Amino acid sequence: MTAAADTSALLRINDLHKGYGPNIRVLRGLDIEMKPGERVVVIGPSGGGKSTLLRVVMGLEQIQQGTVTFAGRPYISTDGRRTAIDPAVRRQIGMVFQHYTLFPHLSIMENLILAPRKVNGEARGAARDRGTKILERFGLAEKADAFPSQLSGGQKQRVAIARALMLDPKLMLFDEVTSALDPELVAEVEAVILQLAAQGMPMMMVTHDMWFARNVASRVIFCAGGVVVEDGPPEQVLGNPREARTREFIERVFHIKA
Amino acid sequence: MDYTLDIGAVTRNMGPLWEGLAITLQLTLAANAIGITAGFGLALLVLSRFALLRLPAMLFVEFFRCTPAIVQIVWFFYCVPMLFNVFLDPVVMGILALGLNLTAFNAEAYRASIQAVPREHLDAGIALGLSPAQRVLNIVLPQALRASVPVLLTNGIGTFQQSALVAIVGVADLMYQGKTLATQTYRPIETFTIVALFYLAISFPVSQFVGWMERRRGVVR
Repeated sequence: MTAAADTSALLRINDLHKGYGPNIRVLRGLDIEMKPGERVVVIGPSGGGKSTLLRVVMGLEQIQQGTVTFAGRPYISTDGRRTAIDPAVRRQIGMVFQHYTLFPHLSIMENLILAPRKVNGEARGAARDRGTKILERFGLAEKADAFPSQLSGGQKQRVAIARALMLDPKLMLFDEVTSALDPELVAEVEAVILQLAAQGMPMMMVTHDMWFARNVASRVIFCAGGVVVEDGPPEQVLGNPREARTREFIERVFHIKA
Repeated sequence: MDYTLDIGAVTRNMGPLWEGLAITLQLTLAANAIGITAGFGLALLVLSRFALLRLPAMLFVEFFRCTPAIVQIVWFFYCVPMLFNVFLDPVVMGILALGLNLTAFNAEAYRASIQAVPREHLDAGIALGLSPAQRVLNIVLPQALRASVPVLLTNGIGTFQQSALVAIVGVADLMYQGKTLATQTYRPIETFTIVALFYLAISFPVSQFVGWMERRRGVVR
């Protein structure tokens, strides 16, 4: 462990262990260090712990061992029984899920301003102004007063991203955000994420779309069996992997897709 | 059959039926007021993490769900005065018996609606930084209460119909007045048909309204 290097890391995951019940161990001593401005795509076989990793970083899961540090502040730790999470640090991280998770009883604008108003105490008018700007940026301005049920999957997912951005996150997590979408709707969501990437938003994402991974990633991590198997630039991990298990996975996935 | 229908024998004596209907509506509205409020509190107890709160609440629900309403009413009218030495107005007793029964059924409606809110919505709430109380107030309850309205209305109209059971313990509701009138006029067919039409006239619009609400929900979702 290089504790001295902590200050340069945006996100630092140390020796992370996570299981469900006594017999299912999903993460088995995971170490990842993410620098500011990096866009990390996590790939790997299903059941390999990718989504669990993102959920842990978001503070949605109890862990059995390890620590997670954000911008030099440890915010997730455990004594082996209970997981302690610092909500003030967690608030700097935003997450978008596979199934949109827009609140169906609230309009699009109300979905956007709920957290800014309740969590940050922002005035309704100010929050609405910011919401309008973000919706305009994402081409959704005319949907402000619509309800989630009136939107397509792609529109819902763009709103979910906008909702997370309303809190001005310093790191975005995307958990298979295009997996539930019809194929023709994937591009509009990926375009929004690429737009964020171009603006320098640090992000960590799980995706099965290898072409998108290659486009967006500054770094690719291959995760299998609950540990990091290979970690490097996309040209290496996706194009010319060093590890046999990575190579096997890449070939299988590209073969299926091709 | 040498029975000649004489609706007039009943329609000339509608006074008691209207009085009975007033009592029936009183029973229904008051029992619903109890069921809608106490049912919500009971649902929260049933969902509690603490067994000390959860188990008695579950026992209450199962007692009322697993015994016939008529047994509950008869037990209430005969046993409560003997056990606890309280003698209440029969209408008040009827309201309490029906209200507690409805409380148990409404608690189940609330519980199911609360548990039907997708787990991911709570995850999204955490990711947005909402506190546990804010998640409950802004995400869970608005969705759950909306979802429970059709079931609450169905249960409520069920209590309206079930309230006829209190006639057997002497509460002067619509059914009781009908029975009395039928005996006095020797016109059971006319009387009980009209009594049934009273119940139908109120239940039918409500059940149609519930159906409309559910179709609308289906479209909106």
